[in-house]
Amino acid sequence: MTAFLLTLAGAALACGLELLEALAIVLAVASERGWRDALLGAAGAIVLLALAGVVVGPIVLASIPLEPLQVVIGVALLLFGLEWLRKGVLRLAGRRAPSSSLAEYLVEREALHALAPPPPGRPDWAARVVAGKGVLLEGLEVVLIVAALGAGDEGLAPALVGAGIAVAAVVAIGLIAHRPLARLPESHLKYAVGVVLSAFGVFFLAEGLGVEWPGGDAALLYLAAALVAVSQLQVITLAREAPA
Amino acid sequence: MIAQLRKLVLGETWTLPLGVAVTLVAGLALDAAGPGWWHRAGGFVMLAGAVATLAVSLRRR
Repeated sequence: MTAFLLTLAGAALACGLELLEALAIVLAVASERGWRDALLGAAGAIVLLALAGVVVGPIVLASIPLEPLQVVIGVALLLFGLEWLRKGVLRLAGRRAPSSSLAEYLVEREALHALAPPPPGRPDWAARVVAGKGVLLEGLEVVLIVAALGAGDEGLAPALVGAGIAVAAVVAIGLIAHRPLARLPESHLKYAVGVVLSAFGVFFLAEGLGVEWPGGDAALLYLAAALVAVSQLQVITLAREAPA
Repeated sequence: MIAQLRKLVLGETWTLPLGVAVTLVAGLALDAAGPGWWHRAGGFVMLAGAVATLAVSLRRR
């Protein structure tokens, strides 16, 4: 049950935050160059992501035996998780700008504003490419995280349910426009995702190397607690060292 | 695009993939050597590797 809930929460948070960034880019393209080209670019990227999901999940991961698979997903989750955790620590210590999809939205709008629009009646390839690239890059991380979390003992169900909750939440935010983007504590949420993904990474990597965790799945809780304790110490240390 | 994909998979600093690789190699070596304590306590070695990797990556930016 612990693994199920943590997988669901980790997938929902990670997917939600990545999709929020993709949404910011699509909204920026739509508001600057129109919905048609923004949605066409995003739709092209979603088709590519569906193909990537089929290749990574049912084909690549399904063909690897259990213990090597646990090592592979452990390494993948550690690479993602530690990167999110590193950035989270730097943001909470004031050593890096806070994460903000709203800021990303404004930057993308400004960049598109500088690009000349196509003649009337011609397809706006610049807008399509910007929207498509944004959705593809953010979505690829979602595909890899869901596939890795779904390769665990609990199967794909909790990861897919978490991803589904994230999609619904992000679509709702998109429908209510960009105002809620400014209110989300994105830096703290990303830090939490870093903790969860890193805990799963250590858990699966050790299991793949023949380790039996004391307490079984409950090990995820004390792994997460240990990562929070260590990373908060790093936040305090880095904040103290920050130039005044 | 390639640079962004590389950043997506490997992150912004080489210290993270390097640290994860060192942790993995240490785990594989210990698993192969098979010391008595490994199956019960090896996870904490992996946790220490992850924590050390994080600490180094925060120092070398």
